[in-house]
Amino acid sequence: MAATRPLTIGDVYDRFVKGKKVAESDWDYTILPTKLTELKEKYKLNFGNKFIPEDKQTINNLFAAGLEMLVETGYYCTDLGRVMNVTEEEVWEGIKKTPTKLIMGEGRDIARFYPRHGNSPVKPIIQGGPTGSPISEDIFTQVMQSYAQEGIVDTLVNGVMTTYEGHPAKTNTPYEIYATMSELRAVKEARVRAGRPGMGV
Amino acid sequence: MVHAGHRVTDAHECSQLNELKVDMVGLNMLAGWTTNGDTIMIEQMPIFGGYTGGLEETAISDVATTLGSFALFSGNFHLDGPIHIRWNVTTAKETLQVAGHVAAAVDANTDLLLANQYYPGAGPCTEMCLLETATQAVTDTGSGREMLSGSAAAKGVVQDKTTGMEARIMGEAARAAAGMKISDLNEIIGKVLSIYEKGFVSPPQGKSFRECYDVKTVKPTAEYLAVYDGALKTLRDCGLDIKH
Repeated sequence: MAATRPLTIGDVYDRFVKGKKVAESDWDYTILPTKLTELKEKYKLNFGNKFIPEDKQTINNLFAAGLEMLVETGYYCTDLGRVMNVTEEEVWEGIKKTPTKLIMGEGRDIARFYPRHGNSPVKPIIQGGPTGSPISEDIFTQVMQSYAQEGIVDTLVNGVMTTYEGHPAKTNTPYEIYATMSELRAVKEARVRAGRPGMGV
Repeated sequence: MVHAGHRVTDAHECSQLNELKVDMVGLNMLAGWTTNGDTIMIEQMPIFGGYTGGLEETAISDVATTLGSFALFSGNFHLDGPIHIRWNVTTAKETLQVAGHVAAAVDANTDLLLANQYYPGAGPCTEMCLLETATQAVTDTGSGREMLSGSAAAKGVVQDKTTGMEARIMGEAARAAAGMKISDLNEIIGKVLSIYEKGFVSPPQGKSFRECYDVKTVKPTAEYLAVYDGALKTLRDCGLDIKH
């Protein structure tokens, strides 16, 4: 049946609320692995020693298996302890609604983000940064600048500032928020020092 | 008034949970970001050897969670990161295989924007770290990903053990690999992997940012530049025509 519309976050929440109650351990240890094994066998997937597949059958069978996994199994909400389901048509509507082009950053420092398809001669966007690694407060700007100043880097990804004014940035404390806001200011300063103030983050 | 926050052209990150799971914190953040028109990146790092089990099973789950990022959670791009349960890296043989196959499968069937993130085992200023990063960059580029995000050297858990030099080799390896034949890339990946994978048992921890850069001038040390040049030579010997 055709989808009514792409799912919104509200739609997803509503489906979780009305969804089937399942123990998280059943999801992790039974439902998920059982279905994955079934799909591996159904689609005869065997990657051998290849890192990047060279045959279309493996590529398309893997996609079909993953799509079937999403539709047949659904998603689990850990707080509600319930499962929501989505139809294949709704998955495709969601894909259709997704922008296929994005611009990261501002002004002359933007990075254009669009599909490459296969191994296009166009290099991917290079997002440089510590990717969530712990970084000291006193050198945070310099660490981020070390990425921003690299010519091959197009956009940035933050590290995690571990303290704010010396206080540990513990989860669920004001210092977590202070440190996060301080990270953003430091990244902005790093972009300016590198001569690329508009760079995306 | 100037504020420190994100612009709508910066990515707002929401993480899924392992595997095919989400929590209310994630949904609540997404409700705000979608209303605001923010750029949204959804992250999910499938664990090879975890709930999903083996190689192909992890890849199937990864395709499902990638599609879920867009169809369920209104993401604008997906940040992958298959991680090895024993070595805690994204640069092991199996995690490269998962990433390469999943990207190729989604890329061939959609126009979705796909990213991958980097967690090498070794720390900065070591050839192993640079080779790990370059090998993943070759895999991600060859399999059609649109963004490479990294690199969290030393598994991303050691204080101040990441620097811009790792991003340099990630980008240069990607530039060299872009447009090459997939069969050639598979051969190169296998060769470089065979050089560094034995190091996962006890990867070199490398040096901290303060030891790799002059903190005042933010310039890398001569020692790190020499290590970098050594890594480039190894990559060229393995068939990757990397320039700088």
